[in-house]
Amino acid sequence: MNDRRTHFHRELAALEADLVGVAGRAEGMIAEAIRAVVEDAPDVADAVIASDAEIDRIYLDIHDRWLELMARQQPMGSDLRLMSAILVLNATLERMGDQCVNISKMATVVHGLPRSEQILEELQEMADLVRPMVRRAVAAFIRRDVAAALTLPEMDEPVDRLNRQMYQRVVACGPRKEQLEWATRMMMVARALERIGDQAVDVAEQVVFLATGEFREFGDTAGSGDRT
Amino acid sequence: MATRTVTAELVRRSLTRRRVGAVDTVVASLLLVALLASLAVLVTLLVDVVAKSVPVFAERGFDVVTARLSPRPEATGLIQGVFGSVVLSLFVIVAAFPLGVAAAVYLEEYARDTRLTRFLVSNVRNLAGVPSIVYGLLGLGLFVKLILEQLLGQDSGRTLVAGGLTLTVLVLPIMVITSQEALRAVPLELREASYGVGATRWETLRHHVLPTAAPAILTGAVLTIARAFGESAPLLLAGAVLSNFFAPAEGASLLSLVTSEKYTALPIVIFNWSRQPQEEFVALTAAGIVVLLVVLLAVNGAAIVTRDRFERRR
Amino acid sequence: MSQIASTAELRPVPPVGVSDELSSEHPVVFEVRDLDVFYGDFQAVRGIDLDIRQHEITALIGPSGCGKSTVIRCLNRMNDLIETARVEGTVTYHGVDLYGPDVDPVEVRRRIGMVFQKPNPFPKSIYENVAFGPRIAGLTADLDDIVEESLRKAALWDEVKDKLDEPALALSGGQQQRLCIARAIATSPDVVLMDEPASALDPIATLRIEELMIELKEDYTIIVVTHNMQQAARVSDRTAFFSVEVGEGGRRTGRLVEFDLTERIFTSPSEKETEDYITGRFG
Repeated sequence: MNDRRTHFHRELAALEADLVGVAGRAEGMIAEAIRAVVEDAPDVADAVIASDAEIDRIYLDIHDRWLELMARQQPMGSDLRLMSAILVLNATLERMGDQCVNISKMATVVHGLPRSEQILEELQEMADLVRPMVRRAVAAFIRRDVAAALTLPEMDEPVDRLNRQMYQRVVACGPRKEQLEWATRMMMVARALERIGDQAVDVAEQVVFLATGEFREFGDTAGSGDRT
Repeated sequence: MATRTVTAELVRRSLTRRRVGAVDTVVASLLLVALLASLAVLVTLLVDVVAKSVPVFAERGFDVVTARLSPRPEATGLIQGVFGSVVLSLFVIVAAFPLGVAAAVYLEEYARDTRLTRFLVSNVRNLAGVPSIVYGLLGLGLFVKLILEQLLGQDSGRTLVAGGLTLTVLVLPIMVITSQEALRAVPLELREASYGVGATRWETLRHHVLPTAAPAILTGAVLTIARAFGESAPLLLAGAVLSNFFAPAEGASLLSLVTSEKYTALPIVIFNWSRQPQEEFVALTAAGIVVLLVVLLAVNGAAIVTRDRFERRR
Repeated sequence: MSQIASTAELRPVPPVGVSDELSSEHPVVFEVRDLDVFYGDFQAVRGIDLDIRQHEITALIGPSGCGKSTVIRCLNRMNDLIETARVEGTVTYHGVDLYGPDVDPVEVRRRIGMVFQKPNPFPKSIYENVAFGPRIAGLTADLDDIVEESLRKAALWDEVKDKLDEPALALSGGQQQRLCIARAIATSPDVVLMDEPASALDPIATLRIEELMIELKEDYTIIVVTHNMQQAARVSDRTAFFSVEVGEGGRRTGRLVEFDLTERIFTSPSEKETEDYITGRFG
C-alpha cells in the first residue's frame, strides 16, 4: 500500500493515540473520585481535582494540534471522519474529567457528615457500571468496532435507572437534617455518574459515524431521568 | 558527506571561479570571424560590380535601362530584360502563390492522413529539389511546343506565358512546402478554440488559421519571387531570347507582348553581355547586374511591405 | 415521555442520503451509457456510465491518464477532430443521440461550449474574441449586447469595458481565462465543459474562476475536469472518480470507479479505491 501522505497520517495517528491516553486517565479518575466519596477521603478527592488540570492541558494541546492538521492537511474521507470523531471525543473526555471533579468536590464538601450505606452501595454500583462503559466505548473507537459501540445504549439503561432511583433514597433521608444534606450532595454525584454514562454513549455514536459515515443518534434509549 | 561551514570566503571563491570563460571567448571570436568573412565576400562583390558599372552610367545615365537591345554597345539597353523579369515575377505571384497556398491548405487541413496523402507530400518535397534546368525541359516540351504551338496553333510558343508557366511550376513545390510549414506552426489550441465555439473547418481557416499563418506564408512568397527572379537556365530552354537584338512586331499590344511575342529576362541579358568580346560589354554587364539587384530589391520590398501591412491590420 | 426523548425530537437527525432534494430537482442533461473511446487500437476509456444533471456542477477527478479529458471531449464531439478516435456506446443529450447520423458536430459545439486548460483567446481584440461565436452563428443583430452580457456574466466587464478593442493577449492569465469563459457562453450554450480551467493560473485567479463557476451554474450546466481534489470538493455538486486499469503490455485504460454527491465522495465514499485515492493511500 503506497501512502502518499505518511507525514499527515503519522500525525493523525499520534493525535488519536494521545486521545486514547486521556481516556485512560479519565477512566482512572472515575475510580478515584468514587473512592473519595465511598471512603470519605478528602485527600483522594484533592488528588482527583489536581489531576484534572493535566486533562485540561492535554485537551487544549489536542485541540491545537487538531486545528493545525485541519488547516494544513485538508483531510478527506475516513481521515475527515476521524478528525470529526477526535474533536467530539476530545471535548467529551474533558467533560468526563470535569464530572469527576464535581464528584470529588462533593466528597470534600460532605466530609464528616452522616452517610447512608444503601446510597453508597448504589453509587458504587453505578460507578462499576460506568467504568466498563467508558472502556468499551474507547476500545470500540480504537478498533472501529460498530457492534461493540451499538451495545453502549443498553449498558446505559441500568445507570439511568439507578440515577432515577436516587431521588427516592434522598427523600427517605428527609427527617435527619444532616444526613439529608449529605444525601442531596450524593444525588449530584449520581447525576455526575449518569452524565459520564451518557458521555460514553456519545463516544459510541462517534465510533459508528467514523466506521460507517452515517450519524445515528442514540437518543432513542429510555430517558435518563434528568428531571432536576 | 561531511558538512562544511559555509564562510563568506568559500562562497566568494566558488562564485568567482571561471571554468569555461576562455572557451566561450574563443568560440565567439571564431563565429564573428566567419560572419565578417561572409559579409566581406559579399561586400567585395558588390563594390566590384558597382565600380565596374560606373563608366556606363556616367556616360549614358538612365538610357542604359530604357534602351532596347542593340548589337552596338553604345546603344544597347535593358528595358526588354526588365520588362520580361517583371512580367515573369507577376506571373509567378498570380499563379504560383494562390496555387501553392491552396495545395498546402488542402494537404494540411483537409486531406486525411492516408498513404496517398503522404505519397503526395513526399513527392512535393522531391520536386523542390529537382534541378531547375529539368523544369526548363518541361517548359519547352509542354508549354512551348505542346500547348502553345500544337494545341493553340501559335507560330511560336516561346513567349512570356510559357516562361511564366515554367517558372510557376518550378517554384510551386517550394511555395507548397513553406505554406505547409506555416500552417503547421499554427498552434492546435487556436484551432480548438475556434472549433469549440462552433466554427466549421473553413470558418476556422478563414478567420484564425490563415491570418495567423499569413506572415510566414508571405515570407515564403517573398523568397519564392526572389528565386524566380534569378532563374535563367529554365528560361533559356523555355525560349527566352539569348541574342544581341530582337524586336517585337510593329504596333504590338501589351497582351501580344506577353502572349505571342518573343521575350527575354534580365539574368539572360546579363549572361549574353558577359559573353561578348567587346571591351565595353564588361561595364555593361556590371550595369546589368546593378539594375537586376535594384529591381529585385524593389520587387522584394513591395512584397515585404504588403506582408507588413497585412500583419499590422490583424 | 421523558425530556430526553423530546430533546431528540428537537434535534433532528438528517436522513441517510442528505440533500436528496438535489437529486430530485434537476433533470438529466447528459446520459452516458457504456462509453468506450479508442484511439486506433488503444482503448482510452471503458464502460463509462454517467448522468449529468442540469444546473449542477459535475466534477471529474482521478489520477493522470485516467481518461477524464477524453470523456469530456466526447460530450461536445471534440474527439471528432482526432482522426484515429472512435467512440462507442451512447451519449444522449436532452434525449437526443449526440452521435446520431443527422447530428452536425458544429451545431453541437454551439450548444455545448468548452473552456480549455491553457487560456487560448484568439489573437484578436477582446470584443472580437467574444463576438466571433455569435457572429458565425448568425446572431449579428445584437452583437454589442451579447458581448457585454457575456463579459458581465464572466465577471470581466468592469475590467475591460473601456478597452474592448485592445488585443486579448495583453490581458493577464486569469483575465484571459475569464475571457475564454465569456467567449464560450456568448453562443448561449446550455452546457459549459471545462477541462482543468484553472490549472494554469495562480491561486487568486483560480479562486475567482471557482466563484464564477458557482455563479454560472444558475444559468448553465457545468462539467469540470480537475486534477485538484480540493477544487472538486469546493465547487462541485456531484463528483465522478476515475481510475486507471493497466492491461497487458502496460496499456492504461480509464474507467469510472464511483459517481455520487460530492459530500459523500469526500466524507464517506462507497468504493475503497475512491477512499484510497482521496486519503492518499494508493494501492
